[in-house]
Amino acid sequence: MSHSVELTDIRKTFPGVVANDDVSLSVGDGDIHVILGENGAGKSTLMNVLYGLYQPDSGTIRINGEEKRFDSPQDAIDEGIGMIHQHFKLVGPMTVTENIVLGSEPTDSFGIGVDMKTARREVREISERYGFDIDPDAVVEDVSVGVRQRVEILKALYRGADILILDEPTAVLTPDEIESLFEVFEELIDQGKTIIFITHKLDEAMTVADDITVLREGRNVTTLPVEEATNNHLAELMVGDEVLLELNREPHPKGDVLLTVDDLQVANDDTTLVEGVDLTVREGETLGIAGVDGNGQSELSDAIAGLLDADGGSVTFDGEDVTDWDRKRLNDAGLAYIPPDRQEQGLVMNFDHGENVILGEQHTFPIGRRMRDDELAEKIIEEYDVRTSGTGAPAKSLSGGNQQKLLVGRELERDPKLVIASNPTRGLDVGSIEFIHEQLLSVRRDDRAVLLISSKLDELQQLSDRIAVMYEGEIIDTVDPETVTERELGLLMAGQELTDVSPNSDRGEGTSQTAGIDGESE
Amino acid sequence: MIENTRLTRRRIGLLVIAAVAVLGVVASPYRTDIRNLFTVGFFNTALTLAVPITLAGVGGLYSEKSGVINIGIEGLLIAAAFTSVLVTGTTVSTVGADNAVWLGLLAAVVVSTLGALLFGVICIRYKADQIIAGLAIWFVFLGLAPFFSRVYWGQINSPTVATFDQIAIPVLSEIPWLGTLLFTNYPTTYLMLIIVPVAWYVLKFTSFGMWVRASGEHPEALDTAGISVNRVRYASIMISGALSGIGGAAMTLSTVGQFIGQGQTIVNGRGFIGIVAYLMGNYNPIGTFGAAALFAGLDALQVRLQQIGFDIAPELFGAIPYMAVIVVLVFFGYTRIPDRAGENYESGDD
Repeated sequence: MSHSVELTDIRKTFPGVVANDDVSLSVGDGDIHVILGENGAGKSTLMNVLYGLYQPDSGTIRINGEEKRFDSPQDAIDEGIGMIHQHFKLVGPMTVTENIVLGSEPTDSFGIGVDMKTARREVREISERYGFDIDPDAVVEDVSVGVRQRVEILKALYRGADILILDEPTAVLTPDEIESLFEVFEELIDQGKTIIFITHKLDEAMTVADDITVLREGRNVTTLPVEEATNNHLAELMVGDEVLLELNREPHPKGDVLLTVDDLQVANDDTTLVEGVDLTVREGETLGIAGVDGNGQSELSDAIAGLLDADGGSVTFDGEDVTDWDRKRLNDAGLAYIPPDRQEQGLVMNFDHGENVILGEQHTFPIGRRMRDDELAEKIIEEYDVRTSGTGAPAKSLSGGNQQKLLVGRELERDPKLVIASNPTRGLDVGSIEFIHEQLLSVRRDDRAVLLISSKLDELQQLSDRIAVMYEGEIIDTVDPETVTERELGLLMAGQELTDVSPNSDRGEGTSQTAGIDGESE
Repeated sequence: MIENTRLTRRRIGLLVIAAVAVLGVVASPYRTDIRNLFTVGFFNTALTLAVPITLAGVGGLYSEKSGVINIGIEGLLIAAAFTSVLVTGTTVSTVGADNAVWLGLLAAVVVSTLGALLFGVICIRYKADQIIAGLAIWFVFLGLAPFFSRVYWGQINSPTVATFDQIAIPVLSEIPWLGTLLFTNYPTTYLMLIIVPVAWYVLKFTSFGMWVRASGEHPEALDTAGISVNRVRYASIMISGALSGIGGAAMTLSTVGQFIGQGQTIVNGRGFIGIVAYLMGNYNPIGTFGAAALFAGLDALQVRLQQIGFDIAPELFGAIPYMAVIVVLVFFGYTRIPDRAGENYESGDD
């Protein structure tokens, strides 16, 4: 079998992040090669390298055996590579034809104007050859997402692409549209094209792939033919099985219900982000929320924390209906929030420690008093082990771990009844992670509660009393961290329901799930 | 729902127009005076006055269509008006008046294009805010032109220099009415009459025009299609500079032959009216010309009314284009601003 694309030891770093760590990949001619991995695994970066949008730090690209260097997409296009981006690169007010020929327009006999007649005919021809039913004169912003995707594919084909890269093409499609996209794949393969298909959905990979490459944290974990793959095995490979630090999460009795979320809905203009979520958190309990990024977890936490308006349902906190409360009122009521992005949401980078620690309490300062609290800052530096040059140093001078400790310290020093922690250890070193985990466990020990949203499974399993898994805005299952395996969690996160429903699981209907995990507590 | 509000808005818009018409009826006792006002000479004057507004507008729309809002065209007009007088005045003794005016026009185009290039570098290379950079271009030339007037002529207003002659095109100029309106004009007016349809054709029917439109709507689409967004934007900005150059020269060499440096200079807001014109014309060069002609007509009317002793405040007339654009943008709402106009673009962003 000949290989149309061979990537060898591709390394691409961004400031502070290794996006691709010596990834190698070879794609057989005429195959559908699936690149599978979680968000942030480095799939898109790798493909942008292949398409010439990024230049790799090291590594080589071979197309049909020849080594190539792509300085721009034009170089990749010239080698017969076409890319269909996750976010369409289409000009809304232009017609289908104009979009397809953009950048490679046929000119009329004077060599000045675009020969729209020829362009339209060519578009109609390739459209028919691949069985697309597309009106070349339709204005792109008037057609459906599925049609726009076909326009993107036609764009690549018009430029003579033999190797098509599709970056998460199904993310924006309805199930019907996905099915017809896969039919298009077959048509393309019949016509001798090669397809590289990026996804994080297991069943899609299993449906269409010839070969599957799994990426995790920027590394190529494995490449295997689809015949040798199973859902379970792939899920395990995607999520990984890191060695966990053992934490002492001793059983703890649960108190009264502190937070009840009932049928919560959050939507933006055209999509539902949170769809009828029910959950309860009791005093002395940690509820974990698992899920692949972008399945509604951040909207759920923002809505509970008062940063987003709910479009339906209710939130009850400490016996009061707080659905419409804003962040300030919830903060005063004892609901602390550790946001996922410490630099954008958690701290003001240019403020020093004394200023950052009063954020959230700033309205309690009378006019004329200096808006800072060095005493509190000193205390947090001391107790939370913030390594800093002093309270007057700006937050941006701290390392990520120390910024996070300052943030966690500020939120916990308010003695909140409930702490919502959203990815509290993302991007931190092991020492800081351990420290923050210990702090969150102590909240639970003090009969207070934690709602932990995390994309790290080990973290969720170590800290949570129960884990609810979110997929496409819904909680599809609630599982016991003691008995669930990472593979099962991985499957749930990929939207696959477990066939053998564990006795402890709870589908989140009504508010009857207060019992939590029976065997463990009380 | 949306259709409904659009309908009500349109109704209000029509109401505003009706109110203006009522004002016209109030003026109807002066019917014969009015007939004397709108002579073919009046329309010919209006056409001449429309040249700087139209060219500034067409240039500005190219720039904005490509994604760079160029409010610096007011400053470019000032630079061009000053340069045209300076070069015409200093070369007239060596090359003669007929050639000097063309040298003046050429120099105006060069200086204005360089000014636009500077603006482009500030916006594209150094990623400055386009509005602030545009304001800076305006203020720089608003200050520099009168300053150099003092340096060269010792006074803020230049002496009078040679001007273009109106050229009557043989045969065509003898057509009654139309011949006087269209075929007895300054060279700069003919240039405008050629540039407007060409600009329309290029934008709508050529590759470059497509790139310009894509660059302002969805630059990533252009970038991934292998066309450099920055090159398209530089080209569009320089077109706005070149056209403003002709417009600025037309203001001096096709009229009084003088650069006036007082106050807002001889340009006096025509660059901004050019922006208003392309907004009203919905980024269509022909529509831009229509709007510019309307505003120029109002300007000519105001002058005429003064001449026949009708005392009307010129400031009020000066405000009409701006009021008109508010009415159009709010109540008609067909103007569609390019999606990504005003945003700097960085290739390779995801």
